[in-house]
Amino acid sequence: MDLMLFAPELSLVVTGLAVLLIGLFIPTDSKKILGYLAALGVLVALFFTVSSLGTEATVFNDTVSIDALSQFFKIVFLVVALLFTISGIKYTEGNSHTEEFFTLGLFATIGMMFVASANDLMVLFVGFELASLATYALAGFEKKNAKSLEAAMKYFIIGSLSAALMLLGISYVYGATGTTSIPGIAANASVLVESPMGLVAVVLLLAGFGFKIALVPFHMWAPDTYQGSPSVVSALLAAGSKKMGIVAALKVFVVALIALQAEWQIAFAILAVITMTYGNMVALKQTSVKRMLAYSSLAQAGYITMAFVVLTPIALGGGIFYALSHGFMKAGAFIATAAVTYMVLSENKDSTDPDHIDNFRGLGKRMPVTALSMTVFVFALAGIPLTAGYMSKFILFSSTIQSGFVWLAVIAILNSAISLGYYAKIVKYMYFLPTDSEKVSEPLPYTVAMIIAVIGVLAIGFWSEPVVYWAMEAAKVLVGGM
Amino acid sequence: MMPILSMIVLIPLIFAALALFTKTKEQARAIALAGTVIVLLLTVYMYFNFDSTIADNQFEELSQWVPSLGISYHLGVDGISMPLILLNAIVLPLLVLFTWNDERKSPNKFYAFILATEGAVIGVFTALDFFLFYIFWELTLVPLFFMVSIWGGPNKHHAAIKFFIYTHVASLVMLLGIFGLYFAAWDMTGTPSLDIPYLLGQFQFIESGIAKDMIFLALLFGFIVKIPSFPFHSWQPDAYTEAPTAGSVLFVMLKIGGYGLFKVMLPMLPFTASPNLMITIMAVLGSVSIIYGAFLALSQKDLKRMVAYSSVSHMGYVTLGAAGLVSLSVSGAMFQQFSHGLIMSIMFMACGIINNTTGTRIINDLGGLAQKMPKLAVIMVMTFMASLGLPGLSGFIAEVSVLAGSFVNLPSYVMIAVSAIVITAAYHLWALQRAMFGVYNEKLGTVTDINGYQTLSMGIIAILILYFGLNPSPVLEMMLTNSDQIVSLMAVMGV
Repeated sequence: MDLMLFAPELSLVVTGLAVLLIGLFIPTDSKKILGYLAALGVLVALFFTVSSLGTEATVFNDTVSIDALSQFFKIVFLVVALLFTISGIKYTEGNSHTEEFFTLGLFATIGMMFVASANDLMVLFVGFELASLATYALAGFEKKNAKSLEAAMKYFIIGSLSAALMLLGISYVYGATGTTSIPGIAANASVLVESPMGLVAVVLLLAGFGFKIALVPFHMWAPDTYQGSPSVVSALLAAGSKKMGIVAALKVFVVALIALQAEWQIAFAILAVITMTYGNMVALKQTSVKRMLAYSSLAQAGYITMAFVVLTPIALGGGIFYALSHGFMKAGAFIATAAVTYMVLSENKDSTDPDHIDNFRGLGKRMPVTALSMTVFVFALAGIPLTAGYMSKFILFSSTIQSGFVWLAVIAILNSAISLGYYAKIVKYMYFLPTDSEKVSEPLPYTVAMIIAVIGVLAIGFWSEPVVYWAMEAAKVLVGGM
Repeated sequence: MMPILSMIVLIPLIFAALALFTKTKEQARAIALAGTVIVLLLTVYMYFNFDSTIADNQFEELSQWVPSLGISYHLGVDGISMPLILLNAIVLPLLVLFTWNDERKSPNKFYAFILATEGAVIGVFTALDFFLFYIFWELTLVPLFFMVSIWGGPNKHHAAIKFFIYTHVASLVMLLGIFGLYFAAWDMTGTPSLDIPYLLGQFQFIESGIAKDMIFLALLFGFIVKIPSFPFHSWQPDAYTEAPTAGSVLFVMLKIGGYGLFKVMLPMLPFTASPNLMITIMAVLGSVSIIYGAFLALSQKDLKRMVAYSSVSHMGYVTLGAAGLVSLSVSGAMFQQFSHGLIMSIMFMACGIINNTTGTRIINDLGGLAQKMPKLAVIMVMTFMASLGLPGLSGFIAEVSVLAGSFVNLPSYVMIAVSAIVITAAYHLWALQRAMFGVYNEKLGTVTDINGYQTLSMGIIAILILYFGLNPSPVLEMMLTNSDQIVSLMAVMGV
């Protein structure tokens, strides 16, 4: 077996362990270096992934496959990890647990990458849990902050429940087909279609993934967790681990359980509609920006879920493309919020809700780069042209119409218009509402991470062809057998 | 050959970015003037190299952009778009001159938004790919949204958000129509393409009549809201009134809704499943807009709001003329777009000046301004006369062509529209008489006449209104070739 195939994962493992080890021996005030090291490790992994594009292989007894789909999602996760590590440099400043923060982030990314390349439900589950366990700890990273603890607790309990449901679903599938290999299940699907076990498995898996992707009504944990976690971690959760749920669901439903399409397709349609509508409606009323972003994240997941309903190569490609652009947009928006939170807390240590929208007043004057980046992110999330968000919606919504689901596209488009209401509200606070406060200096690592995300959002929006091409190639992996 | 169309789209956008980085008002306005004048020069060059005798797209530029989805970078102009580009290229430098001495916060952003709007609007007029068209279409929203939000009147936030959401929803419905057309053609031919001329040609081969009508109506909705036409006009008076003067003028330059009617709707119309129904819809919307807008204008107390409603009425002629489907009415409607742009620019400039010098726009609180502001009075009287359709001025040519042309096919709708002429004359003259003439209202304090820059910019536009009123052919000829082509297509299809 060629170890080079695992160069991206290995570089993350090595970096993670190195960060942990070095962290033991250096004093707290020089731990900044660990963040740079972690970011470097992610860059190396990104380099290996990009240079391996086009490779196809299956290894470890066909339990892990390297193909266009896994590579695409690996890039998504590594991009989010890069933004996470860079912005983490500022967030962990002066924290004695810095090494744990970065190691957990890197290990979570490794877990996500294994899910992306899983060709067997057991590998998928293990990768899933590796990522989940690391993010449970990260959500509660601020041990003295009650909100952070509550966030971690809710996330952990509901996450464990969803893991249990998923495992039970997998066991039904295994019971019926006698295999955990994803292509193996697809080949033996006739048993599942005939046996009632198939339907039970679909329901269990749907609930399990529903929790992870935060589809309504399985979303209850998400707003609290996103709001309570440190903003940098929220970025990892919303932009990274949610995408892990999506790639896992793609593998399980679109590849393994495609024979049961009739059973789950309509369920996804209903989930998509209620998720996007509920998410947008509730987001309109939020005064906490993190909570608003959390609900907007529900809505965005609702849009991506449409790919499961439409199931054409273009729609799936559109969903996959959306995953990458959402990674940039959502991580960027949370990091911008982190920068604002940092500013508020450095001015007033006792502020209880540093992410309140009032703190965004006059941000255009106070932190021009942050405000401008945030404007790009929210306009991209709303789907304004020339951004990645527009291109994503363009492909996804248009393919929905192509397949005859006009009603679904109309609901999605109306939702998209509603969402403009709260995205524009953030812009209004930043640029049009007056503030007496002075201009402040913007924390550099946050700014760097935001600029990377802005470049990502605009570059994929404008220079779409290569990314669209790879997303379509990735979609072909899914529908190869269709 | 140089990519002249890319240049007239990109130069304003590049200069907008440059303007953002300026530190003083002087620098910002110099950049704005330079950018708009370069566009004007290029447009004049294009005008002299434009062949009015052919209806095809000229100065075309084509390169692949996202080939896997059939998206290309395709630009071109024809007799429908060229006059509107000319309109923008002429008015925008004059608008910059008009604001030359204004004092306002963040002049760098102010001029950047003016330039960005110019780039986006010209982008819509030149795009021959629906993806590109939609990008520019939506891009027009952003600078205007900021323009209203930052420098607008007391209700600016409400007006800006209403404008943004209202027209964004309309754009999304239009996008649905574009998707429908795109996929119908994709399914038929097996290759994706968003090329506008190509898709318009493919439209006739769609088998399902319902699909055809749905696509047509979705696109029509997008355009009708932008025009704006009754009953989807309610964003317009708010946005026009709350916008700063320059913003109102930019709104007037936004002739993209009417442009869509001629460029996209009319070539599709004969191939819809029920063309007569579609014509009726357009005729009803047009004639009701004319009369309803006129009545609302009559009842306004605020001069600027009156002008805004008069715009609803005047744009009704565009819809009615398009539905008239004879060469005279269609070219008249196109000419109305051009003429209305010139006339409304001055009307809004005048409203802005009156508001700045007297502190009010309420017609009853004004009075006798002509004594103190003779230069403004001359220009205003002329523009008001043009707006109410006095022969010899550009508005007359447009309205007479629309009414006379449409009478052939739509006599009853024309009768409704004609009755509005009396009301139109009434509110124009009444407002003029109460605001400008009669005894000077001493409560207004000391007022001064318009400054040199304002006189220059408004004067040039006024002269153009007179010039095109006496000799419309330089612009009308370009339009006639295309309207003839559209109408002959209708005749072939028996519509």
